[in-house]
Amino acid sequence: MIINRNILYIAFRQLSHRRRQTLLTIGGIGISVMVLISAISLMDGLLQSFTNKIINSAPHIIVSGEKITNPVSDLLYKKDSSSTFMFYKNVERNDEDLIKNYARVENIIYTDPNIKLVSPVLSINVIAKFGIISQPMLVLGIIPKKADAITKFSENMTEGKFDELERSPDAIIIGSSAAKDFQVKVGDRINLVSNFGNTFAVNVVGIFSTGINDVDNNAYANLRLAQNIGNYLPNEVTQLYLRANNLDKISGSAQTIKKNTNYDAKTWEENAASVISLYKTISSMIYFLVFFVLLVAGFGVANILITNVLEKYKDIAILKSFGYKNSEISAIYIIQGMMVAMLGALIGCLLGFIMIQILSSIPITPSQTSSVRSDHLEMGKSPYYFLLTSIFAMIVSFFASLGPSRSASKVNPVDILRGER
Amino acid sequence: MNDTIIEFRNVYKDLITQDNNEVIQTTILSDLNFKIQRGEFTSITGPSGSGKTTMLYLMGILDKPTKGTVVLDGQETTALSEEQLAVLRNDKLGFIFQFHFLLPEFSSLENVMMPMLARGKYTYAAAREAAKELLEQVEMGNKLNSKPNQLSGGQQQRVAIARALSNKPKVLLADEPTGNLDSKNSAIVFDLFKKLNEETNQTIIVVTHDEGFAHRTRRILHVIDGRIDYSTNI
Ligand SMILES: Nc1ncnc2c1ncn2[C@@H]1O[C@H](COP(=O)(O)OP(=O)(O)O)[C@@H](O)[C@H]1O
Ligand SMILES: [Mg+2]
Repeated sequence: MIINRNILYIAFRQLSHRRRQTLLTIGGIGISVMVLISAISLMDGLLQSFTNKIINSAPHIIVSGEKITNPVSDLLYKKDSSSTFMFYKNVERNDEDLIKNYARVENIIYTDPNIKLVSPVLSINVIAKFGIISQPMLVLGIIPKKADAITKFSENMTEGKFDELERSPDAIIIGSSAAKDFQVKVGDRINLVSNFGNTFAVNVVGIFSTGINDVDNNAYANLRLAQNIGNYLPNEVTQLYLRANNLDKISGSAQTIKKNTNYDAKTWEENAASVISLYKTISSMIYFLVFFVLLVAGFGVANILITNVLEKYKDIAILKSFGYKNSEISAIYIIQGMMVAMLGALIGCLLGFIMIQILSSIPITPSQTSSVRSDHLEMGKSPYYFLLTSIFAMIVSFFASLGPSRSASKVNPVDILRGER
Repeated sequence: MNDTIIEFRNVYKDLITQDNNEVIQTTILSDLNFKIQRGEFTSITGPSGSGKTTMLYLMGILDKPTKGTVVLDGQETTALSEEQLAVLRNDKLGFIFQFHFLLPEFSSLENVMMPMLARGKYTYAAAREAAKELLEQVEMGNKLNSKPNQLSGGQQQRVAIARALSNKPKVLLADEPTGNLDSKNSAIVFDLFKKLNEETNQTIIVVTHDEGFAHRTRRILHVIDGRIDYSTNI
């Protein structure tokens, strides 16, 4: 079928003849395209900012002392429909969870060229006491230089200096969330009570905020200090934090590490799996809902085309009488659908762009409980949102125009031309 | 060269209608056999409902016979597909209907250009030139850019005639072209047909009620009840 210029022209003229209805339909497509673009940008932006923060300031792989054979991770485990078993995690210190002689393990890990950096971490649970407040807190013993390369503490200090941590043996830096809970400032001295009941007085030398609550709820101390508090040997740690050169290859690296060291290794994606899958579930639900908005706009397209066909029976018959083919008559209405969709998509893209700008400039109150904090909405920005949404609008319009264009091509000129005007 | 442009061979046309659950078959045209020669100016007359319009649509291959064969310019049309018929119509035929039927969104000029642009045989500029000439021929040269609703009935019919002529059709088919016009405009249309037939040897077939009109053509096919009652050359 050759779509000649004249077919385009006829299609355009019929549309512009019903200006108001055409504009309304275009507007309908435009608004739904805008809503879809904004929704995609919002959801994608959330996921992206989350993963970016993780990638930039969380370990790509965590090697932990947990034995990889440990089968049960859920508290509730349903064996069959009639019975439910409950497992308690061992709350006592378990030497099985330690990486002993971590330097040796580090050497094994470094044989993988994808691993750029290994940072040993010893995490211990303590009760922190400051003033009248007494709360459990996780203290992570680190080697400051190495840990900084992963978590970028030095870039995220809100008070004090990260370097102080290295200089004084009884110093800690504390995450902004925890600092808020305890209302401590730099220079304060707080007491940490170990599992064995020993109390250690430490100096708060800095406060940092990475934006990841899991990190900002904790305190960080020199590895040696943490080992003292927890009564561990100098070659014992609980985790090794790893940074990789190539993120696409970390699954393979994690597998290799598991095999070579017999310690468990999890990638950041595995560690954040529940959050990521929650994001994905929410996004697909939102896309599903927004899809209906576009579907309604599609009905608008079908509506204007049906009107155009019904009111143009005579014209269709005339065009056929002087030799326009059925396929060319169909083309007129498909083209009308496409014209409306294209203009609608164009307007929708413009509105969507503006919407993204507006949404990303709205200040929001950071939440302490969500995984990632931000003071404004992180909107995703990608030309693909516009492209995909526009193509989608075109597809919807195309399907909406199929019915009307079919009935137009089926008009029998004899029946129409016979009748009076 | 064959001088027959249209031939009906044992042409029947039945109409199938559905009344409630009953299927009713009525014969509109039965066993038509005739030939129309090139250059003939023929009128088809007969009482209302006798089947004249049906006959014209069969000649114009807008409709297909129930039985029998319609031959157009030496080509049997029975087995042709709808697309092929459309191409043939564009190539060989020009239609004029009783109720003008111009496309309302388009100017006189654009209406006349439509058939020429259908097959891409003409460039836009060439079609425009040709359309302008045709409109001047029917004395509508001063209304090139008027829309149909700005024209009188007679003027619209003249634009329709120009449009029917636009692809240099072998046959011009007109269904009561003066049925809605006053005597003055009827005369203009008739004179146009006459001139076309005499000067360019244009084959013209006109369905008409107008006895006076019919008697000034060269041949009359009189139809009664779907049969040819008589055929006279004048
Ligand atoms: N589509 C149709 N629906 C109903 N009746 C029709 C149809 N086409 C033709 N007829 C009938 O067929 C007969 C011939 O019609 P037509 O060819 O229009 O006659 P004429 O043009 O001579 O008045 C009439 O009785 C008419 O009522
Ligand atoms: Mg009639």
